[in-house]
Parts: sequence; C-alpha cells; structure tokens
Amino acid sequence: MTASHLRQIASVVGLLVLWQLLVQSGKLSELFLPAPLSVLASMWEMTRSGQLPWAVLVSLNRVVQGFVYGAAVGVVLGLLAGAVSWIEDVLDPWVAAVYPIPKSALFPIFLLWFGLGDASKIATIAIGVLFLVLVNTVTGVKSINPVLLKAARDLGATHLQVFTKVILPGALPNIFTGLRLGAGMALILVFITEIEATKAGLGFLLWEAFQLLDTRKVFAGVVTFGLLGVATTWLLQWLERVGCPWLQRSN
Amino acid sequence: MLLALRDIGKDWLIRRTGERVSALHSITLDVHPGEFLIFLGPSGCGKSTLLQIIAGLEAPSAGEIRFPDAGGHGKLTSMVFQDYALFPWRTVLGNVVFGPEVRRVSRGEREEKARRLIDLVNLKGAEHRYPHELSGGMRQRVALARALANDPQILLFDEPLAALDAQTRRVLQDELLRIWKETGKTFVYVTHSLQEAVLLGSRIVLMTAGPGRIKRIVEVPLARPRHVTGRAEAEMLDQLDVLLGEEVTRAMAL
Repeated sequence: MTASHLRQIASVVGLLVLWQLLVQSGKLSELFLPAPLSVLASMWEMTRSGQLPWAVLVSLNRVVQGFVYGAAVGVVLGLLAGAVSWIEDVLDPWVAAVYPIPKSALFPIFLLWFGLGDASKIATIAIGVLFLVLVNTVTGVKSINPVLLKAARDLGATHLQVFTKVILPGALPNIFTGLRLGAGMALILVFITEIEATKAGLGFLLWEAFQLLDTRKVFAGVVTFGLLGVATTWLLQWLERVGCPWLQRSN
Repeated sequence: MLLALRDIGKDWLIRRTGERVSALHSITLDVHPGEFLIFLGPSGCGKSTLLQIIAGLEAPSAGEIRFPDAGGHGKLTSMVFQDYALFPWRTVLGNVVFGPEVRRVSRGEREEKARRLIDLVNLKGAEHRYPHELSGGMRQRVALARALANDPQILLFDEPLAALDAQTRRVLQDELLRIWKETGKTFVYVTHSLQEAVLLGSRIVLMTAGPGRIKRIVEVPLARPRHVTGRAEAEMLDQLDVLLGEEVTRAMAL
C-alpha cells in the first residue's frame, strides 16, 4: 500500500465522516442530503424486504437483453461495413443520420410500436448500444494494417478465413471499447425508460421515491446504479483480458 | 527452370490526375531451382512490385508468369515482408502455424512442423511469446519460419533486413544463408544494399530506376563464406557500384 493509496482512502473516508457529522449535528437537512449511514440502513431494509433485489433483477434483465442484441448486431454490421465497401455505402447514411439522435428520444416511438412492456425498453437500449459498438467496430477494422491482410492471403487464407482470422481479432480491441461505452449507455437508457410507463425496475424505484420525497431511498437507488456501473466495468475488463491476451503483456 | 517471367509490365493509374505511370517494363527472366536470386535497384524501381506479382498478390498489366514444373501443386511461393507482418494477436507458434491452419492441416501435424521450424530459426523457447515481446531480429525469424511452414518451393523476401540495426543484420544474413543451404529452397530476395547483394546472392539482377527494367544480370561466382573485405568481393562491389550509381543518380533526377 503506497502513500498515494492512503491519501485516496483518507479522502473518501474523511468526506463520508464529515458528511455524517454535519447531518447528525443538524447543519444539513436529511431531506436534501441523508447521512451515509441512513442511506446504508435504507439499502439494507430494502434488500431484506426484497424490494431492491427485485428492482435490480428487473432492470438487469432489460439491460442485458438490450446490450446483447445491440452488441451482436453492432459487431456483425460493423465487421461487414468495415470489410466490404458496398455494405459500408448502404449503412453509412443511416449511421450518420441516427448516430447523433439521443437514443432516449426514440423511446416514445418504441412505446408506440412495442407497447408498455419490456420490449420497448429493451429496443431503446439495444439501439443505443448498437450504434456505439457499430462505429467502434468499423474503426477497428479500418485500423488493421493492410499488410496483414496481404500476408494472410499469401499464406493461403480464403476470404472467409481472412475475415475470421484477421479482421475479427484485429478489430477486437476497438470492439471492446465500443462494448464499454455501450454498457454505460445501457445504464443511462434503462433509467430513462423506467421513469415513465412502468411499475418495476431500479429507475422506477428511484423515481417513485423522489415523487414521495423519500430522499434516503433516492440515494439508495443512486448508489445501487453506481454499483451496477462498477460491476459491468469489471466484467467487461475481465472479458477483454480473456479476449485480448496479447494486449495485457505490453508495457 | 522453376519460374519463368515473360515480358512482365505493371502500370499504376494515378487517380487524381488520370495519368498512367509505368512501374515495371518488359521483365523477362528465368529463376532456377535452388538459386539465391537478388533483385538489386534504387528505391522506387518497382522491385517490390515485381515480388508481389510473383507472389500473386498483384496482377501484372502485361506479360505472364509461369511455374513450368508446378504440376497441380497450387501456390509455390511464400513471402517474407519488410515490416514482418506478424499477427499481433497470435503467439510465435500461432503465427507459424497460420499457413497450415488455413490449409486445414491437422493440429498435431501443423504444431509439430511449426516447432521444427521455430527450432530451425533458433527461436526455441519463444513459442508462446507475442510479437511485441520480441526484438526486430526475432520477429523476422518468426516471419521466415511462418513462410517456410507452407513448404513453398520459392521464398520471396522484400527487403527483410532493412529495418534492423547493422549488427543484427549481419547475424541474420548468415542465418539466411544457413537456412538456404539447409532447406535447398529457392530464394528470391529484393534489396537496395549492394553489400547484401554480394554477400548473399548467387545471381544479381540489377534493375533500372523507374520504370524498372533489367539493366544487367550478374553471376556471383565467389566462394562462400564471403566477406565484404575480401579482395574478390571488393572487385565485385566496385563493378556493381558503378552500375548502381548510375541508376541512383537517374532515380534522383526524376
């Protein structure tokens, strides 16, 4: 443990203690800023009652489904667009048109199409993930040194083998960048889509608590979202280590 | 005769101006089995393009290439690129097995062959390292082993040592000669270095500055091992120096 680590821990612990003391002494109102310990207590209560785990499960189901569909389509289209110029020409105007739209703005359209259930939320998340993964995958394919494609052909690789053995692994580091950005996007979008027209999920729980001015519960929801964010980052970093072992040993 | 080049020409279309530029003109040459053939010429003489045409990676604009004794053999050449062109996501072993792997040789067979070749290029123990963990000289050894793994009759070298420091280059030149002798393969080798040409080649094809033509073909009857400081070698160098000098001057005047 270095001095730098100690300072970081001191910073977090110090601020939390200060915050706790300020609230306890009445200088800060619990309505605006509940004390850390009461947020923790609230999370514990909600976990015991099953309310919090259920909300997390409902949200995670939407996030995971949306992420998997969006990422799968994004990777496949990205590899094809990066490698085959006419496919890129067909896709490019649509990417240029849809990419800048905040994907949350598409949610009302999906509500119209797919109704109030999970499908509209999953579709919104999938679209948000898809474009980030697609754009990064195309970048990954284009960044492959062309001499590697030549070498593969020289060694006898067919077009399909060039695709699976050179283009796919060559684009993998950028694909993982897209997946990490996509995971962040998925969490943003699950919250937004759970504010309205739903009766379950972490976003719903948080928003309902706000409307009842139950600030402790709001904070509990925010902290839980934060934990989900950390967990997905760890999971993706682990996947990247397994998927791109040649990147780890540099430096 | 292993390979016959007949009247090979290559034009590039400059898209911006619509102009056609001739890179190679009327190259006619026979490559004999087991020789160490050098293409020597100034930068931009089209010698790398010629190598790519022999490899089948570029189509010639004119002329034809024949492998008279090929039988139904398929591709007879393998290329060693100047900047190694190793797959960064594959280990040394993974790179060397690539050719047999895409030709669907069984795993056991291709790995056994790869290990033998890794041994041949003196990289035993480095099988599971990634390219970025190797020095330039080691990378070029991997590229050589990878090219040998397809059992080509002809190995094509595109300035393979140009990116290396002088010391490493000397060591690898000796290694190349050793492997050339041990394998009995035909080496076709592109370089712009006179010393390298005289040290390695059994025949030197001197190219003109663009468009590349054959200026002269020189037999190198010197015994091996050769040394740049030897008397016969020095005479050969002087003779070639004059010829190459003319072309370098022409290339710079263009």
